[in-house]
Amino acid sequence: MPAANRWVVTARFTDDGANTWRRADGTWSRQLADAGLYPDEAAAKAQAADTAAKEQREITDPYVIEVHAVDGTIDPLTARERIRASGPTVRVRRPDPDRAPKADRG
Amino acid sequence: MYQYDDYDRRIITERARQFRGQVARRLSGEITEEEFKPLRLQNGLYMQLHAYMLRVAIPYGLLGSNQVRKLAHIARTYDKGYGHLTTRQNIQYNWPKLADVPTILDELATVEMHAVQTSGNCVRNISADHFAGIAPDELEDPRPYCEILRQWSTFHPEFANLPRKFKIAVTGAPGEDRAAVRFHDIGLRIVENARGERGFEVLVGGGLGRTPEIGRVIREFLPKRHLLSYVESILRVYNLFGRRDNKFKARIKILVTALGVEEFRRRVEEDWEASRTPELELPDEEIARVAAFFAPPPYEALQAGNTQVAGFALGRDRELGNWVRNNVMAHKVPGYSAVVVSVKAPGTPPGDVSDTQLDAIAAIAERYSFGRIVITHTQNFVLSDVKTSDLPRLHAELVALDLGKPNANKLTDVITCPGLDYCDLANARSIPLSLEIAERFDRIDYLDDVGDVSIKISGCINACGHHHVGNIGILGIDKRGEEWYQLLLGGSPGNDASIGTILGAALAQHEIVDAVERVIERYLESRESAEERFIETVRRVGLEPFKQAVYGRPRVAAAAVGA
Repeated sequence: MPAANRWVVTARFTDDGANTWRRADGTWSRQLADAGLYPDEAAAKAQAADTAAKEQREITDPYVIEVHAVDGTIDPLTARERIRASGPTVRVRRPDPDRAPKADRG
Repeated sequence: MYQYDDYDRRIITERARQFRGQVARRLSGEITEEEFKPLRLQNGLYMQLHAYMLRVAIPYGLLGSNQVRKLAHIARTYDKGYGHLTTRQNIQYNWPKLADVPTILDELATVEMHAVQTSGNCVRNISADHFAGIAPDELEDPRPYCEILRQWSTFHPEFANLPRKFKIAVTGAPGEDRAAVRFHDIGLRIVENARGERGFEVLVGGGLGRTPEIGRVIREFLPKRHLLSYVESILRVYNLFGRRDNKFKARIKILVTALGVEEFRRRVEEDWEASRTPELELPDEEIARVAAFFAPPPYEALQAGNTQVAGFALGRDRELGNWVRNNVMAHKVPGYSAVVVSVKAPGTPPGDVSDTQLDAIAAIAERYSFGRIVITHTQNFVLSDVKTSDLPRLHAELVALDLGKPNANKLTDVITCPGLDYCDLANARSIPLSLEIAERFDRIDYLDDVGDVSIKISGCINACGHHHVGNIGILGIDKRGEEWYQLLLGGSPGNDASIGTILGAALAQHEIVDAVERVIERYLESRESAEERFIETVRRVGLEPFKQAVYGRPRVAAAAVGA
């Protein structure tokens, strides 16, 4: 499948401030790879606004990012969103099991 | 050091209790993030790139060993095993869960600590010379005045909603400014007038960020008794006339520039004459009462240790010698030395300290330095009162903890903001560059040959890494979502204050440390003698030779894009 730009809805969990991405079924994942893809920005923004209104207890500051999606892989278009998705690129003393320091992603 | 009285204890305990209720209401959905945000910021709780971040206030950077142990316990119990030393002499935790924060504040209160006014548009933590109280070049200890200002500014109702945040620093050493007072909203220098009386030179409108300014003197001599009333008048003029329509134009430096320093001074003096009342006067007895908390520890009567220091520096143990030469500083009491404990080990983010290191440094401080530890704005520790004869044993213990690098004020002693690895505002990462610099230049002979030079890195224009005042400054910028960096040369935070100049086009991440190396090479080629420091060479020869060094070669030039 050729690469195509899509949009996803992202936010923070209120409990711990961790980044989260909205799945297609409306639940929230801590992995960008699980995110539901929107074919147009307007639909994603409408979902983010709906989330802000209806899920404000669990979810904080929802917004929309643009991604490159190909063969099931989702790549954000900015360094900021890549680092949000994969965690600090430097040593964290006691990382979460799924968040070991990554090599430089440049 | 200062001990809380009943009033201090009550307000801090009550604030923690209030915040517990606010957190409970946020977690239950009773209040929204929009409603909660100003409440959490008043308690030092930010939302950063990956998690909440809690910034703990450490007035003038001074800690007792019991407080350091508490910080270790919090890192271990509620965070990921480390804390981060900040450029305002504070410590911050990068991973607290919201539900745990009220308990953390309760724990801090048990050791007379809190997170109040570490965020928001209020008077922030008052900072000071990290060698306060022990520096031979000091006229007077600035910490009693920092403490008086802290008490006056904490929960001050008139200044709880300033146009923007407000930072004050105090130094008591006229000859060398180690507190960067010229880059604060208010800088205070303890000086002596022609009659031999002590008072303050008052500077306003200094700062970094997107509009860097060197503070301007608005009063050459302020008698001590008027400290609070005069500072209050400065803040009142700022509060009344500072811009609130644009946060990028809201700092006092913008107001001072817009009015001109003469008009700003006139308004302050006018307010001062009209508003100062006896309640705000500082009688000598009150100054003496607060100063008593900072009385010198029970030093032993020792012989001067200069010969001993020289012996260690030139002795057979080269590791000890290098460390003594670079990290041991003069002390005003014979037989004692001040030690800079480097928190800049290769492979570890600058300023990050683990819970075990914190526990160990607390024990070390008790054994060697009367149980006191100071956090520096350069993201290191200082042990202020070490017997010179203890230096070899202390060095061995610090090396075992990975805190013994002999690099104070050297190329690898880099000030680094958290950058895009942690910060929600950042454009680019700072820490990986700092780690690369630490690795590239980790050769003691090279560091010693290059001499004192400061590198300061900020991941965005907010300048938490003080890049404007680095002899070499690095600023991260965003270009179409990718990380690029500008290189600046010629900044200095001290008495010879200057703001660095951008050298040329922005550089890609993989080019920036090469560029730093070329700048250093050009300095080594250009200096008149080994005694001419980097900053002196830059000022003498100008930027052109360094531009040639960085951009005159194909590899860097090819990667550069327009700034």
